[in-house]
Amino acid sequence: MTNFDASAPEMILVRYGELALKGKNRGMFEHALIRNMRAACEPISPLRIEQRRGRITVIPERRVGDVARRLQDVFGIKTVSPAWGAEPTPEAIAGVGRAVLADALLDFPPGHQVSFRVRSRRSEKRFRMTSVELDQFVAPLVLEDVANVKVDLKHPELTLGIEVRTERAYIFVRRLPGPGGLPGGSLGRVLCLLSGGIDSPVAAWMAMKRGCHVDFVTFHSYPYIGEASKQKVVNLVRTLSRYQSQNRLYVLPFTEIQEAIRDNAPSPYRTVLYRRMMQRLASKLAWRDRTKALVTGESLGQVASQTLENMTCIGAAADLPVIRPLACFDKEEAIEIARRIGTFDLSTLPEPDCCTVFMPPKAVIKGRLDVCEKAEADLDVAGLVERSLAGVEVIDVPGC
Amino acid sequence: MQRIYLDNAASTPLSASVREAMDPYLGGSFGNPSAAHRLGVEAAQAIDRARELVARATGSRAQEVVFTSGGTEANNLAVIGGCRARKESGRHLIVGPTEHASVRNAALALVDEGFEVDFARLDAEGALDLEHLADTLRPDTVLVAQMLVSNEFGSVYPVRQVARLTRARSPHALVHVDAVQGLGKRELSLGELGCDTLSISAHKVHGPKGTGALVARDGVELAPLMHGGPQERGLRAGTENPAGIAGFGRAAADAEDSRPRTIERFERMRARFAECLASFEGAKLLEPGAPRQDIMPGIMTAFIPGVPASVRLHHLDRAGVLASAGAACNSKRKDVNPALLAAGLDAEDSRRVLRFSLASTTTEEDLERALRVIETVHQELQAVQS
Repeated sequence: MTNFDASAPEMILVRYGELALKGKNRGMFEHALIRNMRAACEPISPLRIEQRRGRITVIPERRVGDVARRLQDVFGIKTVSPAWGAEPTPEAIAGVGRAVLADALLDFPPGHQVSFRVRSRRSEKRFRMTSVELDQFVAPLVLEDVANVKVDLKHPELTLGIEVRTERAYIFVRRLPGPGGLPGGSLGRVLCLLSGGIDSPVAAWMAMKRGCHVDFVTFHSYPYIGEASKQKVVNLVRTLSRYQSQNRLYVLPFTEIQEAIRDNAPSPYRTVLYRRMMQRLASKLAWRDRTKALVTGESLGQVASQTLENMTCIGAAADLPVIRPLACFDKEEAIEIARRIGTFDLSTLPEPDCCTVFMPPKAVIKGRLDVCEKAEADLDVAGLVERSLAGVEVIDVPGC
Repeated sequence: MQRIYLDNAASTPLSASVREAMDPYLGGSFGNPSAAHRLGVEAAQAIDRARELVARATGSRAQEVVFTSGGTEANNLAVIGGCRARKESGRHLIVGPTEHASVRNAALALVDEGFEVDFARLDAEGALDLEHLADTLRPDTVLVAQMLVSNEFGSVYPVRQVARLTRARSPHALVHVDAVQGLGKRELSLGELGCDTLSISAHKVHGPKGTGALVARDGVELAPLMHGGPQERGLRAGTENPAGIAGFGRAAADAEDSRPRTIERFERMRARFAECLASFEGAKLLEPGAPRQDIMPGIMTAFIPGVPASVRLHHLDRAGVLASAGAACNSKRKDVNPALLAAGLDAEDSRRVLRFSLASTTTEEDLERALRVIETVHQELQAVQS
């Protein structure tokens, strides 16, 4: 045991929270979780994954630290711990624990007194000591050769974690937070209407966090807006691909629709009518892909088109459920998440999106559904929808 | 649909002769120019030949040419390297009113090192305000950076006077000229311009991207930004890019050779463009500072009322004419350019300014076709407006 090398952990303990509670569905959730873990990590290392009763152990062939960082972005994971394995005997555990502690102490400045404790758990009840007995057995042994460490059971800076399981014992010192939530795709597929703004990428991320696989659709009014605006949306999807491995963006041409609305509909209703067309187009795409819901970044009262009346008019054009994760968020709350998930800086680049095309001088605040429907009676809605869908461009962005 | 490229101030297509000059160094002659064996020597010779060509195109001597990764690096080396080498003499520098971001932001980065930055300004007519510059120069001024040709309007600034004013008032100052838009369009000469350093870039004259040079007068002190090996007289460490440099040499020589003919053609094309523009109500060709300051005719910047420039550009793009709004490097900036203010344009107007820029490869027939497209798009967009 003296020459045990603890400079790089061998495996990663993965803890997942909520989904363990989901009764009969648990197997399905775990399956999705493992699939997403593989998709997130296998580009950088082959993995062996062991799964036993509420715990997953990942054994990467290489780059254990990088794999752990990637796991921190996989929805459904509560915490991860890079860990070392040992024979499940008190002596072997103490031997590895000693090397792990000595290595962990290198992270503290020289001369700093480190407060410390050992904390064991055992799910292997046949193990010959209780958890407390194991703590008391291991602590003096691991502390034998180290200076400047004092035991502090209440607020230690360093905890040597031990988990004794049937197959082996795990020793670790770090617990890294995962994003929580539910495994991506475990609840099914949704389609997010993505503009270049701050809110819609946040809405997409929130849907992913709650177990949805998110596809994206954006609307492009070339040549009123340019290639750079489309590229901005592609870059947003690329940023979100950190949280989801397969990403599909549909780009639908929207110029003809906007021109038709500009030329034939009452100008205050333009924005509401644009958005109704977007809901219609997205619904059609969704049905084609067996997608179960639409997701939008709409937030109550944030802009003129997001009054309750206008949201009603807009939502009425969708023929499947519309999830609005940000409906009751303040702008600051959305910005906070956007910064955290890395979309904020992209979203604030000054590229126009199609909603700014032909903006009326005065937009309706309390839209009426009957007025919308009357205005649309003057449009060839079916033809416009069909031609836009026929011009769809599909952009697949792999996970990164 | 034939494409007509009128964004040559942003970048130009690689010419056949440049590609040919680069080719050996992308293939068989791949040696490290510092190596002693024959492959190394071949690469080193290519760099020497290119250095000679760039020197001739800029009126300098070969040993005065420092190859860099482009205009931005050359500007950074001059501004930051020049100030750092002079910090015992003073910590004040002056930056021209419409400098490229690579000069302006390099200067502002020096504030953290205790330098004080002043900006020269334009007068009411959009010309460089030399009186104000004279008043701003101080005995402890260690650098004055003034571009030769504006990438935004083609204005040609009176660099020679700037250098003379500086010499008389600030004996320690380095005079740097960003001549990226001047190569192949104006005669470049350290002696005539009276400056110490001059930056140029290959891809503005049909050379490859990723290659440029700082021409630094013999004996001018600069602190290197890149540390490592002894390449480029120790001013720019790192293995050289023989293919890029060979291409740059060819491109600079070609640009200089064709310069008189190019300018003559630019003059005629500019006149045609102005004629076309005159038929658009309210439109005008922007020539800040003229006639007191020259205009390099290949950069034609126009204010066209109506839809924002971005919308007009996308329509032109669709119809095959590629141009830009303001300066490509600045298109994400929101503040109003002082030269636009001098031309009487406000913030709203400034969103309706387009730049069409020519190259030695742009033919008069190309321009005629482009003008027809510009007219057609203008009529289309007027219909949208009403």
